[in-house]
Amino acid sequence: MTVHLLGIRHHGPGSARSVVRALDAIDPDILLVEAPADVQSSLTWVGRPGLVPPVALLGYVANEPGRAIFAPFASFSPEWQAIAWVNERDRPVVAIDLPMAVTFAEQGTDELLADTAPPDPLRALAVAAGDSDPERWWEDVIEHRGDGSPAFAAVAEAMAAARDGTITSAGEERREAHMRRAIRRAVKDGHQSVAVVCGAWHVPALELDAHPAAVDTATLRGLPRVKVASAWVPWTHRRLTTSSGYGAGVDSPGWYRHVFDHPGSDGVARFLVDAAHLLRAHGQSASPDHLIAGTRLADALATMRGRPRPGLVEVLDAADAVMGGLDLVRAELVVGDALGQVSDSAPQVPLARDLAKAQKSARLTPVATPKTLEVDLRTPTGLRKSHLLHRLLALGVPWGAPEEGRGSSGTFRETWRVAWEPELSVRLVERSGYGSTVESAATARLIERVDAATGLADIVGALELALFADLRNAVTPSVRRLADRAATDPDTGRLMDVVVPLANALRYGDVRGTDDGALRDVFDGIVVRILAGLVPACFALDDDAAARMVERLTATQTALAVLDHDARRVAFPAVLAQLADRHSMRNGLISGRATRLLHDAGRWDATRVEHRLSHALSPGTPPDVGAAFVEGFLAGSGTVLVHDTDLLGVVDRWLSSLRPQAFESVVALLRRTFGAFEPAERRQIMLLLLGGEISRVSGFGRDVDAVRAAAALEAVRHLLGIPLVDVEDGADHSPFEWAEAER
Amino acid sequence: MSEAAPPTILRPHAEQEYAGELAALAAADDRPRPPGWKLSPWAVVRYLMGGPTGGSSDMVITPKYVGSQRLIEIATATLATDRAVLLLGVPGTAKTWVGEHLAAAISGDSTLLIQGTAGTTEETLRYGWNYARLLAEGPNEAALVPSPIHRGMSRGAIVRVEELTRMPPEVQDALVTVLSEKVLPIPELDTELSAVRGFNLIATANDRDRGVNDISSALRRRFNTVVLPLPATVEDEIAIVSQRVGELGQALALPEVPSAADEIRRVVTIFRELRSGTTVDERTALKVPSGTLSTAEAISVITNGTALAAHFGDGTLTASDVAAGIVGAVVSDPIHDAVAWREYLESVVRERSDWGEFYEACRALDS
Repeated sequence: MTVHLLGIRHHGPGSARSVVRALDAIDPDILLVEAPADVQSSLTWVGRPGLVPPVALLGYVANEPGRAIFAPFASFSPEWQAIAWVNERDRPVVAIDLPMAVTFAEQGTDELLADTAPPDPLRALAVAAGDSDPERWWEDVIEHRGDGSPAFAAVAEAMAAARDGTITSAGEERREAHMRRAIRRAVKDGHQSVAVVCGAWHVPALELDAHPAAVDTATLRGLPRVKVASAWVPWTHRRLTTSSGYGAGVDSPGWYRHVFDHPGSDGVARFLVDAAHLLRAHGQSASPDHLIAGTRLADALATMRGRPRPGLVEVLDAADAVMGGLDLVRAELVVGDALGQVSDSAPQVPLARDLAKAQKSARLTPVATPKTLEVDLRTPTGLRKSHLLHRLLALGVPWGAPEEGRGSSGTFRETWRVAWEPELSVRLVERSGYGSTVESAATARLIERVDAATGLADIVGALELALFADLRNAVTPSVRRLADRAATDPDTGRLMDVVVPLANALRYGDVRGTDDGALRDVFDGIVVRILAGLVPACFALDDDAAARMVERLTATQTALAVLDHDARRVAFPAVLAQLADRHSMRNGLISGRATRLLHDAGRWDATRVEHRLSHALSPGTPPDVGAAFVEGFLAGSGTVLVHDTDLLGVVDRWLSSLRPQAFESVVALLRRTFGAFEPAERRQIMLLLLGGEISRVSGFGRDVDAVRAAAALEAVRHLLGIPLVDVEDGADHSPFEWAEAER
Repeated sequence: MSEAAPPTILRPHAEQEYAGELAALAAADDRPRPPGWKLSPWAVVRYLMGGPTGGSSDMVITPKYVGSQRLIEIATATLATDRAVLLLGVPGTAKTWVGEHLAAAISGDSTLLIQGTAGTTEETLRYGWNYARLLAEGPNEAALVPSPIHRGMSRGAIVRVEELTRMPPEVQDALVTVLSEKVLPIPELDTELSAVRGFNLIATANDRDRGVNDISSALRRRFNTVVLPLPATVEDEIAIVSQRVGELGQALALPEVPSAADEIRRVVTIFRELRSGTTVDERTALKVPSGTLSTAEAISVITNGTALAAHFGDGTLTASDVAAGIVGAVVSDPIHDAVAWREYLESVVRERSDWGEFYEACRALDS
């Protein structure tokens, strides 16, 4: 009877190769692997055709899928290779780590990782030895000196030294006790040759002689348990990297797979060939001459740095110096986009489970036939429906589509067209890597979308979706990203476009408990940028661009007014005053609108506005500029003219002063302005000009029903939040006197 | 360290100024040297990056380049193969400095230099003729005026080509034969010059300046490219600026100006923030102006401010002495850069409580 302890580096191609070599040499009856005991049934899938790495073994609390452990496997994972080795020979494999049932019951953590304690002890040793790449250090120090088993003895020795003096945590103690007990059981069952594949860190602790069985039994007695389930999910190389949050992750899975697939001395050249293909596919030049030079430079660098053969660092340095395109090579080859596959018969993922639960609580059943759904946001169920549908939209599982114009109208009613296509189920499994609940997955995907977004509008769209879907954790990153993009966006116009949706989000409290202050800061920042860039942005605009800019000026003014923003008082009028002055000869439309906004906001008194107007409309100004000024000043607001007789006088005098040719050249432009007025307004203006009188109060007859009018006023008071007056009191007065009094 | 150079020389060559270090390294260096090299590649890297000499000598080499050792290793390893090195980077990233010291360390001679300009001709790269002799004696060896490349090839030494991209592309391409065949044909004499081992070429170029040409892909393929980045950390950059400002001040005989440290830090901070498009605390994103805002420009802003303070001010470097220089360096495009600068001034500078004086100085320039 012999127990072979094979200490490995998780996801180490060198380890994977030497484990297979060691298994070939010792030919064990049974394999024990460091994996939670309750996933053992899933291990039979390893090496079968349906399961293509990278995949992850997912363990989760059965009724709380949010609490989950992912144990990722790549083709170069030693555990994967070892399990595949025994599965191929129909020998038993036993998972010996502490069951997840216990881990979950013990720890309240939401997301745990399979091996939390020492993420990568070999990395620590490699760094101590002065090598940045643990894989190469392993190759240099272990693989090139011993072969097969002796290397594992050396690792065990190194780890014993590394662990010497460290204190084992209670959790780790339990795990190792569990592993020891499993090894004892395998020995007791009469297996002659037992191979144990575990993280190198654990090897010294699994020496049976040093640890009495009775102590382990005591350690493991009476541990609480919860009900857990496990499933295989497709994984990606990108998610194997440390940066995606997996503790024992690897920086360069693509490189590792390459090293595992091509261990020979031509590995460097092969990698450079792959890089050359990649660069060519992206339109960069990479000739065979480059490859020769790259391979030689990698060798020269390795020699100069005193390494037996080039590692990733040398290869990348060489590729970058010779061909360039390092970022591309790093993203595509060093990390890579490999996506695993899990066959259909694999158990259901928690995301689907969580969705089923959400559907139940929102009282929405997935049906394939399309139907229209009216959602009332004032009811809790309606709100839940809306949240769920929006979240699925964010997740990229479009179960419902908001109906034209109403989906995001911000009213209490939403209209959806819902249909559950079978493809959506597949999509859901694909998206399961984003998170184990609809909420967390939608949040993660939305954040990813925001990070990838290039335009401000995309980010604002995502932000709105986050608000509608009640994804609080996605709001803050979206807001931050929005601030960053807004800072670097060279187009002031685009900034002005997002001001109104942002102001609405702030005003109507859609931010529901999220970081209101951050959004406010972003808004303030955008306003500062608009104010700084507005004047140059109004230079040299053609007519269409000027028309858009005029709309944006109005929108900005509205947004500032909605929030009663500080900039509305001094800073924005100051910029408008610049526009009104400086551009009078360049772009009449914009200076006209700027003058108008200053007039409406009461910034410029009537005298000044008239001064400005008559200046713009005086014979010294080219007629088309004057007409554009009128359009900018008056567009869509005939009523102003009706009520401001002085203003009307200025316009009238200008028109009358035009020479016949000049009049002909502007009449089309004037028609554009005046033609857009309401017919009633036009009629009134004409009446005024013909010397007639019009009643100040229009739209009402003489016989107003005071009681009914009071009811309407009461509703208006409600809306405006003005205290109610007694109805009897109101009955004494005409509602118009009231209105007078309010003013 | 300047024992080899007469004190009146304004700027001695690297191999003269650091002759002591080079000799100590050569004595201690027992690693294999490529043919024609005065030092092993390891010792070359040590010479540039600084550190103990090794061997029996206890001399400590001063660092010549502050930055990533990786880059210097790549450049040195490339020179040890038969490919040439192209040092790329924005102005002020020490391209010329690195090239000079590499040549000094490898060949013991940094004087084989061709300065690329729009007016550089093929003769400058290959060889010219002494026309008096040419007319008197006809074409012969004695009438030929060798270029630095010609001399480098016959001696087996490193040749430097500064500002490669400023040369017209057709002139640049004269280098292709030299770099691929290691031969310089001389058809007038019906002969050719074959390069002696140890010959190689270091070229520098910057890709961000106006008025530069492209490099043809045929030539580009003969070079390994090393991109020299701007200094990685604020402290690195401050150290470089302070050191160079001190050296320049001495060379220009400017009076000592105290308390420059704060202003240097401010200038470096502003340049770094605008260059990277984010504030140091990474909370606010910024527009990036079109200028390069390199370390070299920071040095000139400070030197300029020092001159102002010394000759016209009270002898102390104040915010207003550097403000004009900063604005001038940042705002190189009157529309786009002015917006970026105004945004930066209003959203970042104004918020910093201890930058009030500087803010006022900049506002005063604006109006």
